[in-house]
Amino acid sequence: MSLFFNRTFGAGKFLGRIILSNKKSPIVQRLATKTDQATAQVETRPTVAKIDPIQKTHLIDFGKYIAECMPKYVQKVQLTAGNELEVLVPPEAVIPVLQFLKDHHSGQFANLVDIAGMDVPSRPNRFEIIYNLLSLRYNARIRVKTYTDELTPVDSACDVFKAANWYEREIWDMYGVFFANHPDLRRILTDYGFEGHPFRKDFPLSGYVEVRYDDEQKRVVVEPLELAQEFRRFELSAPWEQFPNFRGNPATEEVTNPSEDKPKQE
Amino acid sequence: MAGRETMKTTCRVVKPLMSTDFCEARRRAIGLYRAFYRYIPYIHKYFDIPKSESQIRSKIREQFYKNACVTDIRIIDILVMKGYMELQEIKYSWQQKGHVMANWKPTIEPRPTDFISKFLNGKD
Amino acid sequence: MLRQPLTRALALSSPSRVAPLAARRFADQVQAQPDKVEVFIDDKPVYVPPGTTVLQAAAEVGVEIPRFCYHERLAVAGNCRMCLVEVEKSPKPVAACAMPVMKGMRVKTNSDLTRKAREGVMEFLLVNHPLDCPICDQGGECDLQDQSMAFGSDRSRFTDIHFSGKRAVEDKDVGPLIKTIMTRCIHCTRCIRFASEVAGIDDLGTTGRGTDMQVGTYVEKMFLSELSGNVIDLCPVGALTSKPYSFAARPWETRRIDSVDVLDPLGSNIVVATRTNEVLRILPRTNEEINEEWLSDKSRFACDGLKRQRLVTPMVKDSRGNLTPVEWEDAIVAAARALRDCPSDKLLAVAGDLADAESLVALKDFVNRLGSENTCTEQFFPAEGSGTDLRSSYLLNTKIANVEGADFVLLIGTNVRFEAPLLNARIRKAFIHKETDVALIGPKVDLTYDYTHVGDSASLVKDLATGTSSNEILKRLESAKRPVVILGADQLKTEEGAALLAYTQELALRLQDNLQDKEWKVLNVLQRTASQVAALDIGYRPGVGAALAAGPRVVYLLGADSGIVTREALPKDAVVIYQGHHGDAGASIADIVLPGAAYTEKRATYVNAEGRAQQTLVAVTPPGLAREDWKIIRALSEVAGAGLPYDTLDEVRERLNQVSPALVAYGDVQPNNYFAQARALAKSLQKPVSGKLDVQLKQLEDYFMTDAISRASPTMAKCVQAVLKQKTAPY
Repeated sequence: MSLFFNRTFGAGKFLGRIILSNKKSPIVQRLATKTDQATAQVETRPTVAKIDPIQKTHLIDFGKYIAECMPKYVQKVQLTAGNELEVLVPPEAVIPVLQFLKDHHSGQFANLVDIAGMDVPSRPNRFEIIYNLLSLRYNARIRVKTYTDELTPVDSACDVFKAANWYEREIWDMYGVFFANHPDLRRILTDYGFEGHPFRKDFPLSGYVEVRYDDEQKRVVVEPLELAQEFRRFELSAPWEQFPNFRGNPATEEVTNPSEDKPKQE
Repeated sequence: MAGRETMKTTCRVVKPLMSTDFCEARRRAIGLYRAFYRYIPYIHKYFDIPKSESQIRSKIREQFYKNACVTDIRIIDILVMKGYMELQEIKYSWQQKGHVMANWKPTIEPRPTDFISKFLNGKD
Repeated sequence: MLRQPLTRALALSSPSRVAPLAARRFADQVQAQPDKVEVFIDDKPVYVPPGTTVLQAAAEVGVEIPRFCYHERLAVAGNCRMCLVEVEKSPKPVAACAMPVMKGMRVKTNSDLTRKAREGVMEFLLVNHPLDCPICDQGGECDLQDQSMAFGSDRSRFTDIHFSGKRAVEDKDVGPLIKTIMTRCIHCTRCIRFASEVAGIDDLGTTGRGTDMQVGTYVEKMFLSELSGNVIDLCPVGALTSKPYSFAARPWETRRIDSVDVLDPLGSNIVVATRTNEVLRILPRTNEEINEEWLSDKSRFACDGLKRQRLVTPMVKDSRGNLTPVEWEDAIVAAARALRDCPSDKLLAVAGDLADAESLVALKDFVNRLGSENTCTEQFFPAEGSGTDLRSSYLLNTKIANVEGADFVLLIGTNVRFEAPLLNARIRKAFIHKETDVALIGPKVDLTYDYTHVGDSASLVKDLATGTSSNEILKRLESAKRPVVILGADQLKTEEGAALLAYTQELALRLQDNLQDKEWKVLNVLQRTASQVAALDIGYRPGVGAALAAGPRVVYLLGADSGIVTREALPKDAVVIYQGHHGDAGASIADIVLPGAAYTEKRATYVNAEGRAQQTLVAVTPPGLAREDWKIIRALSEVAGAGLPYDTLDEVRERLNQVSPALVAYGDVQPNNYFAQARALAKSLQKPVSGKLDVQLKQLEDYFMTDAISRASPTMAKCVQAVLKQKTAPY
């Protein structure tokens, strides 16, 4: 009976809580249950995934805390997509910030999930290096972002996270960002003898060369690319962006910017 | 064994990364050239390629001279670094015959230039 | 007839429902500028004329409200409810597509209430929609998919699947072009509205109510129209899909190349979807000046003819008289030898229906360099009077888009419906929305709208032109503010053609002189093929009769497949060189065959009946050894010792520019003048005419196969069979 009641009068809310509850720490969940009981009312919001305000305040608090702990290193803390915490740091701060997040008792971001690169050629520091961290202890994720250009090395995070080894090799291979103090920096995905870094925006989608097995030479040969007509055209517009006005991704909100009064580093 | 030593040299070079002046960068480039030069007999020996030692030598010279105009020491450093990586790939036989021979590009035919041969070839 | 209720409905709803019509203004129209009202869309102010719907006002500020049933070019139905939006101070959400704006209205297109409403609508639609997206041809370009992703709930409450199941509807057989899976239908009624408003075939409708509602033909009947394919594009779900394209590809794996259609003289804009070097389907591309967003069935479905009957290798006749495949070198040398050895007055070049401007100019230059002036087109046009010297006498001067602003249309010896289906759709649009009247001189045919049949005698034109007619049509024409006279080019083939053209010119220009609107052009000649206008612009002589009579020794056919040049008409020892893409009438009489590229395989210029130059782009590579046409002529010219001075496409286009700048002014129509001169030159030709006017394409079955590509298309053959079968059906 009670299930039926719940379904009819608060279907959205009921289902929503099930989904969201695996993201919350126990404390947060307890709080949410309390508010539910206090205000049992008809849900008028659409059922698409909602951002939990309590989880959000937790993230904001933690972001502020990081900024206070390392005012020298943290340039900015922000929330993207409503509930993703990001810490923006200069390249020389990568090691200390990662070390802090890994070892601090109320963070314990002990997993380096991924390191990603990003190329924005119009910026003075065209590359962005993004570290995605996961705290199993608190079921939380955080993102550390830094920047560099083609020639400035970034300190390798291998000493902090063993997992960084291959990720950094990948970024070196794909973007040509050099990692100082990396134990074994060499290519990981491209073929031996491959020239260029394919994820750079100035690298053509089709590449420069094509590879084929030559029967006369009895080996694989590399030749300049000759595209068949079918492949000369690229569809660059995303087909799923039908309703850009209704995408509904919350904009990036700034949590805190400790370096605001200092001269800009970038 | 030679490979591991190169590994170490790579790391040694890497550590300061930036050469402080042009002479230092030049020294590094020459060091790389020397490392390649010393390995030429082994390339000839271990890879079944139809090239003589002198041809390999001149190809290596050619590749180095291709970057002769580079003056930015940071770029020189990166290029040296990539050179050592390449040498490592050769020493460990990660690169195979095809990769080594790709430096000579023997299969690339010149494209037709006049209208009739382009027409008969079916290429623009 | 549809006309009455629709115009009334139009008067009640917004004045700008047919958007392009409202946008087009004519000199003599006094536009009463109504006060604009201010409304707020998501707090953004926008000023729109009263009567605009909320949905249109939102579109002004770039907010596209989701919808299924609403379509700009069709009447408002308001039955899908997807466009519900919240309006401040309104107790319920309102349907944006049917709600006229009111002063100070505050619309919220993304509020919680709006989103909840959309979610509810989506849920109701999906309750009875099958979950067969993986095997549905609409998958990837389905409005229902897209919108349920963007606006639907992110979890399902549908648990009933083992109990009563979903609604299921029997599929209908509506012909060889459209596949129906009626269970997927969401009852938006777009197809019904299209059929009755645009196509003029009142075959589709709904039966039943509520969960028993069905869209269909009520009796077993096929939906046969020359515009039927458009309902596939209109259908927001996979209920109506393309039968020839079924299960062929997904939209994200195809490459889409913008191009131009050449199977009718209008040059509709198309998108060619290809994969693995194969044309999979052709879709219309919006061009308000030509095809709006429609496309005729032949242009859309004849593309499978591009894969059959193709010439893929050069061929030369061997000693036993059989065409045998050879290398390009041999074919070109053989052709060049024949051309070089031919006395220049015995050389004849004939351009066919589908030739592009580049190859036309290259062939003409080449033939001229060999010392001959014999370049002809298959289609005839009288050379007397001003002939083809004045562009105005062989074009659609009114322009396609302006036809819908006309208030009287006189058709002379043309069945517009099948010669240029989209021009007919424009006339029908004018007929329905603008009270335009239509009269026809020629055989009685079904034009999908009511018209006054004046008769089929050519002398009627003479009487109208000289003002001696007692027919009331003359009065109507003379009192019309924006009359249009359209003459079918087929009528000019006969001996009386020149006189008929002269009378038509006289009539049209007499009307034009009396108009208030000095910009309005009355005279139109509707060509039958895509190549004719470009060929006449370049200076080809229309018609091959005289040249054939002179007994040519070498005949160069550039895609000439109409069967006008035959072996019987030629001397026994004549050498026929055929260059083209299909093994059709031309190739069967040829001694040397040079395989060319079809319109999807080359970047080429085509000039449509209005005189608008447009270009096709390379969608796929020509099959086998086939080459682009102008390149074949260029290579041949070099071997024959009369090398043409251009090596690249840009240089050929530079040459086109020298010939006529209109040929490379892509997308533009140059305004035509010199009407008075043409009229003066035509005065002497006004001889009495007595013949009857007849048209080639009378019935739907005549429409489908008219050129080399559509004759090779199995889909078109099926269409013809379907029409014939339908004729024997009881309904």
